[in-house]
Amino acid sequence: MINRKLLTEIDWPLIGILLILSILGCLFIYSASHPQSGPHHLRQGLWIVVGLAAMAAVLLVDYKTLIAYAPFLYGAGILMLIGLLIWGRWIAGTKSWFRVASFGFQPSELMKVILILMLARLFSDYRRNVLSAAMALLSVGVVGLPMILVVLQPDLGTAVTYLPILLAVFLLAGTSRRMAVVLLLLAVGLGVLGWNVFLHDYQKQRLVTLMSPGHDPQGAGYQIQQSKIAIGSGGLVGEGFKRGSQSQLNFLPARHTDFIFAVLGEERGFIGILAVMAAFFFFLSRLFRTVSLTRDRAGAYAVFLSAVLISFQFLVNVLMVVGLFPVAGIPLPLLSYGGSSLLTTYLCVGLAINVRMRRFANV
Amino acid sequence: MADNPIYEDLSPLRKRARGIFLAVEILFVLTAFYYWKIQILDYRMYSKLAEKNRIRETVLVAPRGLITDRKGVLLAQNIGSFTAALIPENTPDLEGSLAGIGEMLGIPIDELRRRMERYGSQPAFKARPIKENLSLEDVSRIDARQLEFPELVIIAEPKRFYPFGSRASHVLGYMQEVSETELKSRRFRDRHLGDLIGKTGLELEYDAYLVGQPGRQVELVNSRGRRQGLVEKQDAQPSFPLRLHLDFDLQAKAEDLLEGREGAAVVLDLKTGGILAMASYPNFNPNKFINRFSPEEWRSIVSRPDFPLENRAVRGLYAPGSIFKLTMGLAGLNEGAIDDRTSVFCGGQVTIYGQPFNCWAEGGHGSQNLTDAIRNSCNIYFYTLGKKLSIEDIARHARLYGFGRRTGIDLPGEKEGLVPTPKWKKETRQAPWFPGETISVSIGQGPLLVTPIQVAAHTAFIARRGRTVTPSLLMAPGFLRRQGDPMRDADLLLRDDIKRRNFDKIIKGMWESVNREGTGRGARVEGFDVCGKTGSAQTISTQTADRLSRNQREIKTHSWFTGFAPRDNPEISVTVLVEYGGMGGATAAPLAGELFALYRRLKAEKK
Repeated sequence: MINRKLLTEIDWPLIGILLILSILGCLFIYSASHPQSGPHHLRQGLWIVVGLAAMAAVLLVDYKTLIAYAPFLYGAGILMLIGLLIWGRWIAGTKSWFRVASFGFQPSELMKVILILMLARLFSDYRRNVLSAAMALLSVGVVGLPMILVVLQPDLGTAVTYLPILLAVFLLAGTSRRMAVVLLLLAVGLGVLGWNVFLHDYQKQRLVTLMSPGHDPQGAGYQIQQSKIAIGSGGLVGEGFKRGSQSQLNFLPARHTDFIFAVLGEERGFIGILAVMAAFFFFLSRLFRTVSLTRDRAGAYAVFLSAVLISFQFLVNVLMVVGLFPVAGIPLPLLSYGGSSLLTTYLCVGLAINVRMRRFANV
Repeated sequence: MADNPIYEDLSPLRKRARGIFLAVEILFVLTAFYYWKIQILDYRMYSKLAEKNRIRETVLVAPRGLITDRKGVLLAQNIGSFTAALIPENTPDLEGSLAGIGEMLGIPIDELRRRMERYGSQPAFKARPIKENLSLEDVSRIDARQLEFPELVIIAEPKRFYPFGSRASHVLGYMQEVSETELKSRRFRDRHLGDLIGKTGLELEYDAYLVGQPGRQVELVNSRGRRQGLVEKQDAQPSFPLRLHLDFDLQAKAEDLLEGREGAAVVLDLKTGGILAMASYPNFNPNKFINRFSPEEWRSIVSRPDFPLENRAVRGLYAPGSIFKLTMGLAGLNEGAIDDRTSVFCGGQVTIYGQPFNCWAEGGHGSQNLTDAIRNSCNIYFYTLGKKLSIEDIARHARLYGFGRRTGIDLPGEKEGLVPTPKWKKETRQAPWFPGETISVSIGQGPLLVTPIQVAAHTAFIARRGRTVTPSLLMAPGFLRRQGDPMRDADLLLRDDIKRRNFDKIIKGMWESVNREGTGRGARVEGFDVCGKTGSAQTISTQTADRLSRNQREIKTHSWFTGFAPRDNPEISVTVLVEYGGMGGATAAPLAGELFALYRRLKAEKK
């Protein structure tokens, strides 16, 4: 299954940067939450160990096997989401969690990895240079089914992160001009429908808030306003670890989860922001380069979709905390507190490494 | 080769992936630029915002200053009270929260919404009062459901309390919430929405003093407004108690005497000008007004036809009636129009300028000199005097002796009254002055209007033989005195040609009025040498009154008495007005007599 030759092919720098970012996340989770609530940073540390174990498990199995079994995984995932809707407990207004002891887990996060595998499987034999309508519809169906189940939880933020996976598939498979127009019209239509039917008032409020965060500082724009103040007041070098007044005095909402980047901005300044962005850039460039190293279509899809997913989540979160994107509840990969999100990222990275180290195996 | 799964041509895929990564790269750079703008270019602005965010300054309000009478009886104090307040920021669903709280506290939701809107301009972290004077049951009910309604807080605040209810209510005034308009005024610009301020009386007059020296507390707070640390604290300094000249016993007596009538009574300490009692009836219970939310009660009392909120002693305008004969006598003596030997024959009626004028005594008083005329309150004598003097002379003297201008008492809203002149009539009524009007003014009728406090000050002026006093309630540090007319306290004898012995001539008449079977005999107190003058002010014109009396119809007049005691070295003056009380001698004089008697008794007890 795995031999010494394969071990040398593991992308150790990628794992290194992954760990560095994860530990950095722990530090800032500690800073953001230490006077109040529980030891979030320790739990996150535990999740890192779990993530590493899961990644190791993924590496043991050939990615082609994983992709081959993707339909079963997909079926299991869908059943899990349905089960959640039926038996799930309401937590914070949604039914998106499974609880084991004191650890919660979101199947909707794991579903992202399954979707990547499923789409890779779907497109592994697709040789045409342009996406056909049938394939497009099929992939919309594959992504749409779990997406609807997640919207029903309701957890719109996670559901939105399924979209870039779908979009990435279209882009990679190649889209004709006509198809692009059809997709665009479909997207606009869904958007209008969504605004009028699916969006809750608070979600509409968030979109409106994006347009003018200053107009109601105590209301819906409050989060963005406070987050911008935190980041802006960080200046060049920041106020120092555990010294950010915005973060330490609770002005910043959801600061150890979705707004961890604002804590970083306040306490470590522009230099800290640049450093983390550079680290992520290196991390993502490693993933994208792996796409070019793969020899088979399925592997290329799997790595590419993983890279796009992580890039999307990173950029959306980073733009969200400065008010350039609606507050969509999308965590910052690796840095934000949250086991499911961390595990998903680790699995994606594991998949990419798997593809990379076995690129010669079948020759 | 294309069919071989191992050697697939993946170059289009790789090209597209590189394209996407290029887009990601560009987004990275743009994002970095945006962070540079916020963190480097706008650093100053955001850092100021952060500073403002975490520092909270609160004003610490001192308990309102106490008010006592001259003997230390507490007239206004503070008691603890609980107010329920809502912090809008702490609830995600204000409407739902209002519904639940309204049900718990028994307030209709519309009313609750209105109360919230009153403070709509305040930031969302500030508590907005929604119910005051909570009962203990309310407090425990709110406490029990603290987890369900974290936005609901209980504020313990000192509340103004008047232990004697309606006693001296007009003097003390009452408190209500400051209005938006008042907040814009210079006087209340330091106050905040929701603060209670004095609206009338001493509560308004000395409001700035009574609030004391507010303290200041600067705290480090978190986003919930919860305190994280103290930066600076300055305790509030309550003011020293305000001690009044008021004598609680006299005040109580004066109010009890007026009960059931509409009128006013003023007792002045002639040595200082201090007000020993000032009663106005009907009165009100100021405790009922210290509430932000029950305007019904307030509205009902405001719209009552007998105006219980009006302080008749300083704001009631009445014709002085025969009280004005004292003024006329002084004017006549000082103008040289009469002297104490001048006598006039009263046959019950006299014709002046072709018009008949009547004396109140049918058949007349016979031959009257000044003393007799004051004792009997003879109209004919003063009609004749009025004919000798011009209206300008009368007006000049009346003003000099204190009518037609404020006395300067330390109460807000004092009225000026009116001393008519031809010039005034021309300006306000576009009509010339008729000589007959001068005759009416001579016995205190016509357009002449005075307040009870003016009559009291006028009486003090006579009793002190020409030395004026400014009536005052506060027995206290001079720095609180309002800035008034610097000439007011100056000795009138020095600045005008008023002869001291002329006062004695008037006072002789006043003494006889009370002690020699004159009109003021009802005010007589054995061994206290009360001097006084009655008045029965018609509330309709002289001509109409004449016609009615000829037809044997009853005319209700305002009943006046003003006097002082003792005759030599006077100590107090008492002025009583009873609206529609009939003849001054019948109604007002006996009430004044009781006040004189009580003063004497209290003085004896003290010794």
